[in-house]
Amino acid sequence: MSPSSVDTSQAPVLEVSGLTVEFPGVRALDGVDLDIRAGEVHALVGENGAGKSTLLKVLGGVYPPSAGTVRLRGEVYAPRRPSDAHAHGIAVIYQEFTLFPDLTVAENVYAGREPHSRWSRGIRYGQMRAGCRELFGILGVNIDPDARVADLSVSEQQLVEIAKALGADGQVIVMDEPTAALSKEEVERLLDVVRRLRDEGRSVVYVSHRLEEVFAVADRATILRDGRLVRTLDITATDEDELVRLMVGRDIDSVFHREAVAEGRVVLRLDNVSAGRHLRDVSLDVRAGEVVGIGGVAGAGQAELTQAVFGALPLRAGHMELDGQRFAPSNPADALAAGVGFLHEDRKHAGILPDLSVRQNLTVTVLDRLRRGFARLLSSRAEASTYTEYASRLRVRATGPDQLISELSGGNQQKVLLARALAPGGRVLVLNEPTRGVDIGAKAEIHALINELTAGGAAVIMVSSDLPELLGTSDRVVVLSRGRIVGVLEGQDRTEENVVACATTGRRIGVAA
Amino acid sequence: MTSDTALPPAPGAQAPAPATETQRRWARQHSIGALWETWGITAVLVVLLAASPLLSSDFLTVANLQSVLRESAYLGIVAAAMTLAVMNGTFDLSVGGQLALVSVTTLMGYAAGGTGLAVLVAVITGVACGAVNGALVTAMRVPPFVATLGMLFVFRGIAYVLTQDGPKTLPYSEIGSPFVKIGGLNVAGIPLPFLIMVAFYGAIWVLLRRTATGRRVLAFGSSPEAARFCGISVHRIRMLIFVVIGLSVGIAALTYISRVWTADGSAQDGFELRVIAAVVLGGTSLKGGKGTLIGTFSAVLLVGVLNDLLVSRGVDASYQRVVLGCVLITALAIDGLRTRFAAPGSFAHMLPRRRREAPAR
Ligand SMILES: Nc1ncnc2c1ncn2[C@@H]1O[C@H](COP(=O)(O)OP(=O)(O)OP(=O)(O)O)[C@@H](O)[C@H]1O
Ligand SMILES: [Mg+2]
Repeated sequence: MSPSSVDTSQAPVLEVSGLTVEFPGVRALDGVDLDIRAGEVHALVGENGAGKSTLLKVLGGVYPPSAGTVRLRGEVYAPRRPSDAHAHGIAVIYQEFTLFPDLTVAENVYAGREPHSRWSRGIRYGQMRAGCRELFGILGVNIDPDARVADLSVSEQQLVEIAKALGADGQVIVMDEPTAALSKEEVERLLDVVRRLRDEGRSVVYVSHRLEEVFAVADRATILRDGRLVRTLDITATDEDELVRLMVGRDIDSVFHREAVAEGRVVLRLDNVSAGRHLRDVSLDVRAGEVVGIGGVAGAGQAELTQAVFGALPLRAGHMELDGQRFAPSNPADALAAGVGFLHEDRKHAGILPDLSVRQNLTVTVLDRLRRGFARLLSSRAEASTYTEYASRLRVRATGPDQLISELSGGNQQKVLLARALAPGGRVLVLNEPTRGVDIGAKAEIHALINELTAGGAAVIMVSSDLPELLGTSDRVVVLSRGRIVGVLEGQDRTEENVVACATTGRRIGVAA
Repeated sequence: MTSDTALPPAPGAQAPAPATETQRRWARQHSIGALWETWGITAVLVVLLAASPLLSSDFLTVANLQSVLRESAYLGIVAAAMTLAVMNGTFDLSVGGQLALVSVTTLMGYAAGGTGLAVLVAVITGVACGAVNGALVTAMRVPPFVATLGMLFVFRGIAYVLTQDGPKTLPYSEIGSPFVKIGGLNVAGIPLPFLIMVAFYGAIWVLLRRTATGRRVLAFGSSPEAARFCGISVHRIRMLIFVVIGLSVGIAALTYISRVWTADGSAQDGFELRVIAAVVLGGTSLKGGKGTLIGTFSAVLLVGVLNDLLVSRGVDASYQRVVLGCVLITALAIDGLRTRFAAPGSFAHMLPRRRREAPAR
């Protein structure tokens, strides 16, 4: 075990007993017991909707429990608001960001605890900037403390969230899927930071759907299923298969399979496309039955490329063809009408319609197909059957079609949005981070679904920051760097090393498009 | 945070008693919060109606009730259309000016060509006003707040210009005209303006709940950024909304002017704020994305009943305004307290909603 095992005989820092949290119609947590020791990394794993985030939100003072107690160093800890958690030395990184988009990075990192001068009470911006740089230095990233958060990419926002929690200097640091949006190197560095925190004697509660991370940093793991505690295990005493079995109650093949599909004709052709701030001269063919993976460091032009195909970003130069016909969508509605489905990488801000039900969220892209009769009114029956078809295919866990999407767990929201992208017909699918935040079982299902769709002739463009997934599920990987294609990796060349080398050095490998 | 909007209506402070299966099923589909959101103001209205005989002995007479319904109609009709706008995350501040202008042109139309022309002119003027607003917002990209605030002055100004030589009036000799019937007729004892209002609510309900356009209005109001990636065009929707508001003002003006018979540029000063107040009182969130027509409907009647009760108790008109303002604030305070207590510590409500136009990073 890790060097910290000396501490494990100590009394736990945080002790959760009989914790129950109820929402209307769901029991998100049901009598959960858990203890967190000083100087340990405690992983919390379970399927989408198992109750992980809910547990963390109780610790963070967002939700009050319906029953049960939490003890912090032996004393009852009942936070009534997030600032109570902060005052008790518990720092939380929530799954869905809590940043203020219109403030700068530094203002966000220091939100609520701005350093100010003694006399004038003026905020010390210089100190904040320096503090930010130091935190980002620890994380090994380069983010401008004066940048506006709304202008950052999702992964940068995630790093700001992490920096904010680290800056809070808590004894217990709680992380809810911190790596869902990060690249491989960023993950590595974060895991180093987590180990360092542990060695300083702090406790880390770590939630992730990526089990390799759990095995890389955690000392113990607690498995939740349907809001109940399954078991707490020493990580050395278990393996991935057992963990998965405990999580989902059955065996899952978590290795990606890409079934070879006979390649068809070219469905989508990009010809010297330039768009947005820096996407330049991109030429690309996507064939029927093919999955083209788009790799590269975050912000290398993936978002621009996919949005250009979806008509959300006007082309500056070049043109596109769909089935040999000129394709010039002037807005997403045109692209949807042409059968192009789209999944945005920013679930919270550009994905869910928070005040609408799960069903309404799913059918919003195909409303025109649900109109019936002389008056062209929406048919509830057609809408219900569309919902049932996709919700059961993707196993969306909701209390019913009328539940608000904002009440679903993160992974289940993702499934609904994926269904929304499939609903227009799936001739061309543009998927940004399709499995971000979904559990292992669902991931396998989504991959199977992509296989199935391509077997039926769909052309898929997939962006993923998860390299094994990118390589495992695509037939061809196109690597972008600073808005240009720097590599097209096929067959034997499709290795993690090549993708990383391509993406970081910009060295061109096999550009034959 | 899960999200910055819908926080749970209380994970309950203590363990609840075991429930039967029917109770459970019911609880799965409903929540106190949702019920209050939809029916809260209606419940208040019912309570007020039940208590009205205690407050005023002659409130519950047929004539008085008819007059309350007739008086409420024009406000109610515009409030229905405004609900649509507020759900979409926008509003129209120019409806007061529109009402004055449409009233003036309608009376001019009547003078020139009788009832038929008056109705035609009302509808056309209203729709034209709405189209101007819509064009400013969509084609010229002026923010709705600024555009409609400006047009409030412009519409009212035009109404003043048209009535420079005295207010337009309907001469007393026209008492028998069908035009006057629009505001005065009772069908089976129910005032025609109220029936028009009910029909208009029905139409807006169908638009909102049963058409693709209505769904897009809601979707955009809930998250403009996400709606863009669902293929929803703001411009088409906003244009439609402003035109519907204009149309509603046209219809409302008919029921209004056929009762008061006279109009100039100062007609119905502050109307826009009364309309928005009714929408907000009805539980529609100014952030967009949610709200109910039944809430607005009940809020309009609540305001009407309250006004009537105050008048019959001899409360001075200036105090009436004070009372109405207090009612509005109380309603919103209750609403705020409810959500606060439903989810203690949920500061997520205060996080600003991100509204960005920039497509990509
Ligand atoms: N605000 C809410 N209102 C109603 N139900 C909720 C709310 N928040 C969570 N739930 C429900 O509680 C359950 C647990 O959700 P939670 O977010 O804790 O899952 P999770 O384990 O974090 O899943 P994921 O891996 O997808 O993030 C889900 O069934 C979810 O629908
Ligand atoms: Mg979660």
